Amino acid sequence: MNTPALFILLCSGEHEKIQMAAMSASIAAVSERPVEVFVAMNALGAFRKDREGNRYSGGEFSKLMRERKVPDAIGLFVQGKRLGDMKIYACSMAMDVAQLGLGDLVEEVIDAAGGLTKFLADAESGQLIVF
Amino acid sequence: MTQRTTIDARGSFCPGPLMELIANLKLVEIGDEIEVLSTDEGSAKDIPAWVKKVKHEMVGIDQKGDVWHVVVRKMK
Repeated sequence: MNTPALFILLCSGEHEKIQMAAMSASIAAVSERPVEVFVAMNALGAFRKDREGNRYSGGEFSKLMRERKVPDAIGLFVQGKRLGDMKIYACSMAMDVAQLGLGDLVEEVIDAAGGLTKFLADAESGQLIVF
Repeated sequence: MTQRTTIDARGSFCPGPLMELIANLKLVEIGDEIEVLSTDEGSAKDIPAWVKKVKHEMVGIDQKGDVWHVVVRKMK
């Protein structure tokens, strides 16, 4: 039996939530489970090329993760995509509102702009987690 | 002849050791073994779970001091 796909709706710009989304997505992908991630709202800012070194907001645990050099969330998404079946879509509405194009986002992470309607329709076949 | 490669993932946080194992499994032949050295206790539990799920083979797991030695055989 095939494992149902994992769908992650990532809305938060908080480091802690983006980290958990990246860990969940990458581990599922390398465990032979298809993964789709939909990046929207404040989360979109973390994927901007011009935010290198200043990607996330966050609290106490974010500070600890930086100090202890926990693997970076964007890097985990990249690893998951290289080693497994993972697609990451940027919310086209959020891109319009933020006046961003695909060229403004980290290329090796974002596959395409996408719409929420299709993402939710696809997610009916699997498990959906919201961060 | 079976080859064994050792990955030093000491000091790497979850899921770093698992990711390093998977990346290296792509580089070796079926039947070869990879030994992961990890100081992350979670990875010592996660790696065997991953190996079972994707149908590779656990050769052994051993704790020496604060370092886990996890040996995996590539099966496919």
